[in-house]
Amino acid sequence: MPDPILSIKDLTVDFRTEDGVVHAVNHVTYDVFPGETLGIVGESGSGKSVSQLAVLGLIPQPPGRITSGEAYFNGKNLLTMGKKDLRRIRGGEVAMVFQDPMTSLNPVFKIGDQIAEAIHAHNDVSNKAARSRTIELLKLVGVPTPERRYDQYPHEFSGGMRQRAMIAMAIANEPKLLIADEPTTALDVTIQAQILEVLKKARDETGAATILITHDLGLVAEMADRVVVMYAGKVMELTDVRTLFEAPRHPYTVGLMDSLPRMTVDEEWLRPIPGQPPSLISPPPGCPFHPRCFLSNGRERCREEEPPLRPLGPDGHVSACHFAEELEGQQSKQVETPVEAAGSKG
Amino acid sequence: MITYVLRRLLYSIPVLIAASLLIFFSVSAMGDPLAELKINPLLSKQTVHNIEQRNHLDKPIIVQYGYWVKTAVTDKFGSPLLIPGEHIWNDLRRVLPHTLQLIFLSEIFALIFGIGIGVYSAIRQYSFFDYVATSFSFLGFAMPVFWLALMLQIAFTDIFIKWHVRIFYTSGLSSENPGSGIHFWVDRFQHLALPALTLMVLSIAQYSRFMRASMLEVINSDYVRTARAKGLVERRVTLKHAFRNALIPLVTVSAINFGALIGGAVITETIFQLDGMGPYFIQNLFSRDTYAVMAWLMITATAVILFNLIADILYGYIDPRIRYE
Ligand SMILES: Nc1ncnc2c1ncn2[C@@H]1O[C@H](COP(=O)(O)OP(=O)(O)OP(=O)(O)O)[C@@H](O)[C@H]1O
Ligand code: SF4
Ligand SMILES: [Mg+2]
Repeated sequence: MPDPILSIKDLTVDFRTEDGVVHAVNHVTYDVFPGETLGIVGESGSGKSVSQLAVLGLIPQPPGRITSGEAYFNGKNLLTMGKKDLRRIRGGEVAMVFQDPMTSLNPVFKIGDQIAEAIHAHNDVSNKAARSRTIELLKLVGVPTPERRYDQYPHEFSGGMRQRAMIAMAIANEPKLLIADEPTTALDVTIQAQILEVLKKARDETGAATILITHDLGLVAEMADRVVVMYAGKVMELTDVRTLFEAPRHPYTVGLMDSLPRMTVDEEWLRPIPGQPPSLISPPPGCPFHPRCFLSNGRERCREEEPPLRPLGPDGHVSACHFAEELEGQQSKQVETPVEAAGSKG
Repeated sequence: MITYVLRRLLYSIPVLIAASLLIFFSVSAMGDPLAELKINPLLSKQTVHNIEQRNHLDKPIIVQYGYWVKTAVTDKFGSPLLIPGEHIWNDLRRVLPHTLQLIFLSEIFALIFGIGIGVYSAIRQYSFFDYVATSFSFLGFAMPVFWLALMLQIAFTDIFIKWHVRIFYTSGLSSENPGSGIHFWVDRFQHLALPALTLMVLSIAQYSRFMRASMLEVINSDYVRTARAKGLVERRVTLKHAFRNALIPLVTVSAINFGALIGGAVITETIFQLDGMGPYFIQNLFSRDTYAVMAWLMITATAVILFNLIADILYGYIDPRIRYE
C-alpha cells in the first residue's frame, strides 16, 4: 500500500453551546490514499462535515474546539501547522466543494472573479492569464458560454450552474485531495446526475484523491472505493465499497442499507432506522447506537462498554460493534430484522 | 444601473407629493395661524384682513394648498406670514448649508470610526478591545446630548482660559474676522468641531454596534467559509468578502440618520449657537409662522427622500442582486 495522502488520527471536535458541549466528532481515525475516492456516510448531524472542516481549519472557533487529534497531509500535521502554511494548502493541494451552492458563493462578486481569485491566491499570474484559465475551467465543468458567464453574478446562475462553478473553483489549482461535502444534496434529481458526472470528470482530470460526504448510499456505490460509516461523531465501520454492500459488519450500516429503496424487492414502504439520532451533548453510554440497535437485544455489554473500532479481517475491514461476527451470513435477513425491532418497540 | 437610478428617481416624485400634502394639511390643522393677531388690540381688523387675503386664508383649504404649492415652486416658498417683505428662501439658504456642514463633518467621521470599530470588534469578538468598544458605545447611547455639549464647552473654555490656546471655539459659526479661503474654512472647522463631536458620539455608538452585528453575521456565512477555503489571506477574507456584504444594512441606517439629522440637531445647534436649521425651526414654531414652518418641513422631507435615494443607489452599487432586479 502506498502512503496515505491524508491520515486522520484520533480527531475530536467539540462545540461549546448554550445547551452544553456538543461532541460533534469523537476520536475519529482513518486514512485516504492517493487517487482513491473515500465515501463518508451517516445520518444528518453525525459529524461528517465537521470532521472535514476541522482538517482544513475551517471550524468557527469559538464555539468550536479541536480537543485532540492529528491530520497528516503528505506527512505534515495540518492541525498544528502555521496559518501561512495552512493557507497555502487550502484551495491549493486540498480543495473543498460545499453542500449548498446557493449560499456558498459570495453574492456581491462576479462568478469568474471568485474563481480567478482562487487562482491568484496560489499562483503569481497576470489577471489575463487567470481569466483565461477560469474560462477554461468553466468550460471543463460544463458551463455554457463561459466568456459571458464569467462576468455574471451568482444570482444569475441556477443551483446546478453554481455548483459547477464551485467545482471549477475547487479544481482550479489541481488539488491532490478534493473534499466534496454533499455536493448534490441541495439540487434537483436531474441536476444531481449531471453534477456527479462533472465531479467524476474533475476527479479524473486532476487525479485527485476524493472524499465524498453524502447521505446517499447509491452515490457511494457509484463513486467510492472505500467507505467510512459515521454515527454520533464516531466511525462505526470502514471497509471497501464491495464488502460494505455485500457483507456489512455493523448493525447501523445494515440499517442504512435497509432504509434504501431496492429495485430487486417489491416493497411498498422504506424501512427507516427506528428511533432518533442520539444527543451529542449527552450521548448514550456504551455503544452510541444501542437504543436503536436490532442486534443488541438489550445486552448489558452494549449499554455499558463502548465498542472499540476493531479489525475483522486482514483486508482492513473494521467495525465498532461487540457482536459484529453475529452479522456474518445474515444479509438475507436484513430486510426483515429492523422491522421486528421497530415493531417490538411499539 | 442607469435605469435603476432613473426608476428610483421616479419613485421619489409621488413620495414628495405625498409629503407635501401631509405637511400642508397637518400644519394647517394646528389651528388658525392668525388667531393671535386677531385678538391683538394693536392691530386693526383691516390689517388682519389684508394678511388673510394676501395669503388666501379665506379660501377653502384645498385651494390654499394649491396656492401654497404654486408659491413654493414659482417663488421658492414666498414670504413668511408675518413679514411680507422678507423671503423664506433667503433664511433657509443661509441656515441649511450651516447644518449640512455640521452633519457631514460629524457623520463622515462617525462612519469612519463606527465602521472601523465595528469591524475590528467583530473580528476580535470578546477581546479586550471588543469589551472596551462595547462599554463605550453603551456610554454613548446613554449620555444626554446636552450634557455632553456642555461638558465640551466647559472643557474647552477652561483650556482657553488657563493656557490661552484656542483649539476649538465653543459657540458660533465663525470668528469676527474669519478671513477668506483656507483661513475661513479652518476657522469654520474650529467652530464646528465641538458640536460635530457631540453629534458624533451617538452616531459612532450606533454605527459600531450595527457594523459589529452585521459583520458577525456575515463572518459565519457559507461564502466567507468558501473564501477561506480557497486559501485567501485572512485580511482579504474579512475586508473584502465579509466587509462588502456587512456594509449593505449599514447603508440604510446611515441614510436615515443623515436625513433625520438635517432637521434634528436642534439641541446641539442651540447650545453651540449655530445659525442652523434647528434654531430656525424652533423660532418660527414659536412665532407661529406657518409658512416658514411648512417650508422647513418640506426641505427636511426632501432631504430625507434625497438621502434615501442616495442609499438606494449605493445599495445598487454594492449589491448586484438589487441592481438587476
Ligand atoms: N457552529 C456550530 N455550533 C454548534 N454546533 C455545531 C456547529 N457546527 C456543527 N455543529 C454540530 O455538530 C454536529 C455535527 O454536524 P455536521 O455538520 O458535521 O453533521 P453532518 O454529518 O455533516 O450532517 P449533515 O448531513 O446534516 O450535513 C451537529 O450536531 C451540529 O449541530
Ligand atoms: S455494540 Fe451492541 S448496540 Fe452497538 S452496534 Fe453492536 S450490537 Fe448494536
Ligand atoms: Mg454536513
